[in-house]
Amino acid sequence: MNPIAAAAFGVVLALAIVLFARRVLFLYRLIRMGKPVARFDDLPRRAQAEAVVVVGQSKLLQRLGPGLMHAAIFWGFIILFPTIFIAMIGVVDEHATLPWLGRQGWYALLVDIFAFLVLAGVIAAFVIRKVQRPRRFAGSHVREADAILLLIAGIVISLFVWHASRIALGLNEYPAGWAPISSLLAQAVPQPWAPYLERGAIWAHVLIILSFLVYLPYSKHLHIFLAAVNVFFGRTRRRGRLEPINLEAPEDEVRYGAATAADLTWKQMVDTMSCTECGRCQDVCPAFNTGKELSPKLLIMALRDQLLSEASTPLVPNAVTDNVVWDCVTCGACQQECPVGIEHIDHIIDLRRNLVMVESRFPAEAAPVLRDIDRASNPWGKPQADRAHWADGLGVHVLQTGEEPPDVLFWVGCAPAYDERARKGAISTAKLLKEAGVDFAILGPRESCTGDPARRIGDEYTFQQQAKQNVGTLNASGVKKIVTTCPHCFNTLSNEYPDFGGRYEVVHHAAFLAELMREGKIKPLAADTAITYHDSCYLARYNDVIAEPRALVAAAGRPVEMARSGKRTFCCGAGGARMWMEESRGRAINQERVREAAATGAQTLAVACPFCTVMLDDGVRETGAKLKVVDLATLLSEAVERRKAWDARASGPDE
Amino acid sequence: MRILVAVKRVPFTGGKMVLAADSRSLETRHLGFTISPHEECGVEEAVRLIEASGGESVVLTLGPPEAIEQLRDAMALGVDRAIHLQTDGAEWDPEATAGALLDAIRADEETYGPFDLIFFGNESADSGGYQVGLRVARALGRPAVTGLKGVKVEGASVRCEQEADGGRDVYVVPMPAVLTVKEGLNLPRYPSVPGRMRAGRKPVATSSPLRPESRLQLVDLVVPGGPGRQTKLLGSGPSAAPAVVVMLRDIGLV
Amino acid sequence: MEDGEASLQTLTLARTWGGPLHAVHADAVEPFAPDAIAAILQRSADDLDVSAVFAAGTDRGNDIMARLAARAGLPFASNCIAATPGDVVGVVRSRWGGSLLETAALHSPRPVITVAPYTFRVTEGPAPIEVDVKRFIDELDPRDLTVRVSEHVGPPTGGVSLAEAKVVVSGGRGVGSKEGFAIIEELAGLLGGAVGCSRVVTSAGWRPHSDQVGQTGTKIAPELYIACGISGATQHMAGCRAAKRILAINSDPEAPIMTNADYAVVGDLKEIVPAISAELRAARAAHAPLPGPLPEGERGQ
Repeated sequence: MNPIAAAAFGVVLALAIVLFARRVLFLYRLIRMGKPVARFDDLPRRAQAEAVVVVGQSKLLQRLGPGLMHAAIFWGFIILFPTIFIAMIGVVDEHATLPWLGRQGWYALLVDIFAFLVLAGVIAAFVIRKVQRPRRFAGSHVREADAILLLIAGIVISLFVWHASRIALGLNEYPAGWAPISSLLAQAVPQPWAPYLERGAIWAHVLIILSFLVYLPYSKHLHIFLAAVNVFFGRTRRRGRLEPINLEAPEDEVRYGAATAADLTWKQMVDTMSCTECGRCQDVCPAFNTGKELSPKLLIMALRDQLLSEASTPLVPNAVTDNVVWDCVTCGACQQECPVGIEHIDHIIDLRRNLVMVESRFPAEAAPVLRDIDRASNPWGKPQADRAHWADGLGVHVLQTGEEPPDVLFWVGCAPAYDERARKGAISTAKLLKEAGVDFAILGPRESCTGDPARRIGDEYTFQQQAKQNVGTLNASGVKKIVTTCPHCFNTLSNEYPDFGGRYEVVHHAAFLAELMREGKIKPLAADTAITYHDSCYLARYNDVIAEPRALVAAAGRPVEMARSGKRTFCCGAGGARMWMEESRGRAINQERVREAAATGAQTLAVACPFCTVMLDDGVRETGAKLKVVDLATLLSEAVERRKAWDARASGPDE
Repeated sequence: MRILVAVKRVPFTGGKMVLAADSRSLETRHLGFTISPHEECGVEEAVRLIEASGGESVVLTLGPPEAIEQLRDAMALGVDRAIHLQTDGAEWDPEATAGALLDAIRADEETYGPFDLIFFGNESADSGGYQVGLRVARALGRPAVTGLKGVKVEGASVRCEQEADGGRDVYVVPMPAVLTVKEGLNLPRYPSVPGRMRAGRKPVATSSPLRPESRLQLVDLVVPGGPGRQTKLLGSGPSAAPAVVVMLRDIGLV
Repeated sequence: MEDGEASLQTLTLARTWGGPLHAVHADAVEPFAPDAIAAILQRSADDLDVSAVFAAGTDRGNDIMARLAARAGLPFASNCIAATPGDVVGVVRSRWGGSLLETAALHSPRPVITVAPYTFRVTEGPAPIEVDVKRFIDELDPRDLTVRVSEHVGPPTGGVSLAEAKVVVSGGRGVGSKEGFAIIEELAGLLGGAVGCSRVVTSAGWRPHSDQVGQTGTKIAPELYIACGISGATQHMAGCRAAKRILAINSDPEAPIMTNADYAVVGDLKEIVPAISAELRAARAAHAPLPGPLPEGERGQ
């Protein structure tokens, strides 16, 4: 052991630890001040998320090239972790190493392989960044990323040089044969230089590691520590559920979303600190991709910068403009893609909550919507008494107060009652339910808006009023099972109403009809028309209802898939209450989606949501596309009629 | 400044009128309620004026127990306190209404001093009497200006703008004054939730005045029927345009 | 009495009560001072010992009559569409801007009644006797002149006045945005008319309140009202039901307005309105040099 080296190393290590610890303490104090949020439940699923997303790198591997590149570096870091200690021991005593592990040949082999993979990963990363230049990096701190990559390269290169020179000097504690690459490199080490190379490399290695360690908490590479934490505390189930606000709490304790960085929850703070600026979220954001101001990546980065600078000015408009807050359609594509588990939607909603509920500052056209939900119980402001008119002549039973509840309650939602295009899906659904002999009823005028548009605009107060009212009605009626044609109602009834005492078995009409089909109660006959199905964000991404609608499409025609489908569907543009707001900047999201649908060559665009129906139908008219937008229930209904006609002909005049 | 706003709880109707079984009121089972639209602008104006010059605002209503909702709504926008003259839900005619409001205003002014301005809606959305504000003003002996779309306090007077003959007539009257306003005076703010929460704790003085004999007695309500218009469908989509132009020609507009 | 149609309609009703008719003009005092007119009306009524006082239910009419009722201590039945004389006067009053009617019994020594505008067909008859109001004017209490018009601010330059226009093209929620009103403005321009809108549009901030047609907006009675993307809620119909003819353009065939209109076109207004404008231009070009649309302000009879 070299006392001077030990002393020098001791000083350097102490310095590094102090600098590192100061920053970490600063970040920890910030997070400790974050507002509370309950994320300590459901531990098994959290552990599962850790295993799959973090260790398994599942989200990153959605894009194979960059995924493998990152996985190589990530797994490399894990495997190479003990080498840090080996190095620190080695820097003070060139003859010592980590007990047991330092002598294992198999470990040396692993180190060699993974160090090489890390280097390959770094080179691949540079190729991606400098040659391929994906758009998702627009706005990211590219030089910082370059610096980090160079440091990583420095770590593994210095490691190889150290190992090579040690082998050349015969100082290796493990059988050299187990480290093929290092051995190969050892042959290139000129003997007179070997001792200097060995000492030089180990000092370089340790110094780079310590610099890297100190640099970590000051850079986006903080994600190394925080990503695993962030993924662990993400939502495990009921992904479409927003955190309720306790409005009954004493006035100064109520958290009306986030006005300043200090209002963020600890999870939101960890979100911002975990961001790696990779831009995958930006790449899939419908707003960003149609020329709006919103970029989910830049949003999180801006919040992070405001948080870390400890500024107490309002987030809107200082970190983030109003436009950015309102551009969002809450489709969730961003958080679906995010490899470090950032939940962007929470941030946007919390910003909206404060703007709406405290400052009353929001797009003017949203005010009548909120007032109408409050006074007329529907966002259209049309009479509640007319709510069951769409069902005139269909023989649909309207459940009265005090009556025995039916097997299934058909929750119609506001759209079919008040929008003529959305009506058709409900009519077809009612017809099919009757055909299949399902015992069902509708609430008619006793049904009022679930409050989803209000909640997504950020008016939690109006939402909770609606929720309490509806839960009261539903609980009093004794209803246990609900079928609905609207994914937003589905999401709210299923995932959000339990917070207000409403627990029901909620099924979307696509799944219900698919079940009836499987049971043989609905007999369709497919036509030879090409049908492409547009997945609703609130159905597919938030609630995993992906296969059942496709069963219906296959039963009605010839399915053709769009590129962006299933969990990677592209929003129709109505979410986040944007259905009610003007789209005045950039290109129209709905037209974008219609073009994609038309490009499949299909003649029919199947939908499972009244908002998608209206938005995409508008899109078809605006672009002149040769597409018919039809609800799944209507397609199925037509298929059933087709089968009946076929059967009638088959058992025709020959009988 | 001291400002009072008088409001009325009216149903938020939509497509058509449905009468209750006794034909003396609307069927309200599936109706929401609101402050009558003209008066909402009065509330907003009162709140703005007090925000600008300091003082106190009061909201007053004659209505059923449920009218407390409308008082809370007004207080959520910033009005300081409320006076609720509770009825049993039966309708009061405009003379009787004005009388009850007058008594309450006089009582309040005796305790707290005169109101510089009292706002009324030009007419209520439902019964449309057009007179309550003017009756109160006459009894108080104060100048009253009606149907206002513009209000500006200038020292001890108020400059009022009323739409007339394609433009606006301007009246300048000294305060204390009574103003009846119309929707369009301002765009009422959306209430903040802290405002709503605070409104729940603001004071409401409740009393139950006796309803006097009515000189304009409601007999019953009737939904106007008759043949209505016979709708002629000119066509669907843009291809109907020629038919529309033919129609325009036929009625002499082209 | 005021100038205009509404007063003529009022006369028509008043004549049905029999007996001599006297009239006081709202512009007896210039500039207009409502309390003064009410005072003059009261003195005239007392002087002539009339059995009833009538006026048109215009803004000005209701203003004056309510003041009269207040100062005379009489009940006031506003916006009546019918009034039958008797010990107890039976009136039918207009509620909700005309969407609902109220039958009421008016107990009054001297009924004070305004007549809802646009609800009566004018019939010819003898003109009322002009009351000589000079001495009443001379004896006016100066306090009755406190509320008096001090100036008239002119209308914003350009454009046709919504209340006076012969043709009004109106847009509702279906128009979609502020910019969407360009096609409405275009059609209105081609027809020499004014642009109107529904309450939703004003609440959303797309158009100023002065464009709003409805119970709490402007009540109009044009030759033709073209309602685009307007569903026809009662508060809106209250503003336009007096139109001679209504053309409704809506994508929903079951919207209330579709059965309250004389003509209807089903479909997307964003396609239909420009198509009508184009057709109009083509028709005019083909028939040039036919004069353009009739000048606004003229009320065809």
